[in-house]
Amino acid sequence: MRRILTFFLGSLLLGLSLIISPSTTWAYPFWAQQNYENPREATGKLVCANCHLAKMTTQVEVPQSVGADSVFTANVKIPYKPGTEEIGADGSKVPLQVGAVVMLPDGFKLAPQDRWSEKIKEETQGVYFTQYSEEKDNIILVGPLPGDQNKEIVFPILSPDPATNKDIHFGKYSINVGGNRGRGQVYPTGEKSNNSLFTAQKSGTISLIEPGEDGSTNITIETKEEGQIIETIPVGPALIVKEGDQIEAGAPLTNDPNVGGFGQLDTEVVLQSPARVLGLIAFFAGVALTQILLVLKKKQVEKVQAANGI
Amino acid sequence: MSTLKKPDLSDPKLRAKLSKGMGHNYYGEPAWPNDLLYIFPVVILGTIACVVGLAVLDPAFLGDKANPFATPLEILPEWYLYPVFQILRVVPNKLLGIALQTLIPLGLMLIPFIENVNKFSNPFRRPIAMGFFLFGTVLTIYLGIGACLPIDKSLTLGLF
Repeated sequence: MRRILTFFLGSLLLGLSLIISPSTTWAYPFWAQQNYENPREATGKLVCANCHLAKMTTQVEVPQSVGADSVFTANVKIPYKPGTEEIGADGSKVPLQVGAVVMLPDGFKLAPQDRWSEKIKEETQGVYFTQYSEEKDNIILVGPLPGDQNKEIVFPILSPDPATNKDIHFGKYSINVGGNRGRGQVYPTGEKSNNSLFTAQKSGTISLIEPGEDGSTNITIETKEEGQIIETIPVGPALIVKEGDQIEAGAPLTNDPNVGGFGQLDTEVVLQSPARVLGLIAFFAGVALTQILLVLKKKQVEKVQAANGI
Repeated sequence: MSTLKKPDLSDPKLRAKLSKGMGHNYYGEPAWPNDLLYIFPVVILGTIACVVGLAVLDPAFLGDKANPFATPLEILPEWYLYPVFQILRVVPNKLLGIALQTLIPLGLMLIPFIENVNKFSNPFRRPIAMGFFLFGTVLTIYLGIGACLPIDKSLTLGLF
């Protein structure tokens, strides 16, 4: 029921966004939510990379270790050159939008708002967090957001407590982070978006270039084997061929308009027990004491050796 | 401050050893008990403390469950095989790649014979062996870094 509702609302949102603001970008994580039960494939690839084909760096900062039942932040940085613009769905220039996904270990989840510190509240202003699905509250999504104000997204995270949850143990866990800027190149259905490079399907001669519907361009290619074929280029990418050109199959017909990209990385966080740290400090104190006593004993023996005339 | 034993230069045996560059264990601080009984445990305890500290503060991490059907995104061997992996990867012919791999043990086998006639043990007085070693080190590091980069910039390291 929930899934159907999500789908329905998603479609509604998509439809509305198409009608109201056709220039909004397509960094829509809900496509991943609809199509994949788990956003991380067995190879470790986050499914966002299936549509956002270009690779760009994403960085993340998490603390080295956290205590049980405490709030900490994961800062995801999605850098790009300020003022970069890409083409929207209608071919106009729009500023980049960003989105991010943080896959936490089991038991970790988004911190409830009443536990956010003033600093977190300030840093997350205007950011809306969603969990990936009903069952997976350890996967947090953000986006799309205007990229120029959100090059760094702060995720407030609550660590689990092994004392109350017997499935959780102290130890090291991995966090998978993905960050994206700009529109994707492929829709989940497999169709290319207008933010990608278009190539010729067959070799031949370009006989005609004429405008099509909604600002698109129809390129007629005269092939030897199959007669005329028509390539439709949507509005956006700039043509780099002209009538009369000979082209090979797979040769580009347009430039590559994409300026964004997706980046993912794995990081680690230690769920630390205070008892272990106290034990460690006590052990270190014992070791230091033993070492000091050994050196003192050696000094004592040296005095005996000096007296014996060695 | 510490106990130092002077060399007994009247002992002809010790003088004979010293003239050959040996016998340095006959003088100086006695190993037993000064070093072996008191300082060795200090070092051993320090090492154990380091290991225990790391084990508590930065415990070992269990990776993803092994899945033989999931090919990793980036295929890379263990770090110590990076240089030879890079040879295999950039050479277009597989047989040639295998042949080049055999050059590594062959080169290692040559080392004892190169400059064997040189009477000096000082590495700065063995220019051929030193050059061979430095060339091998630089080449290994260069190939190792290249193995971590995408193949189109693995030979230039993305610098040019």
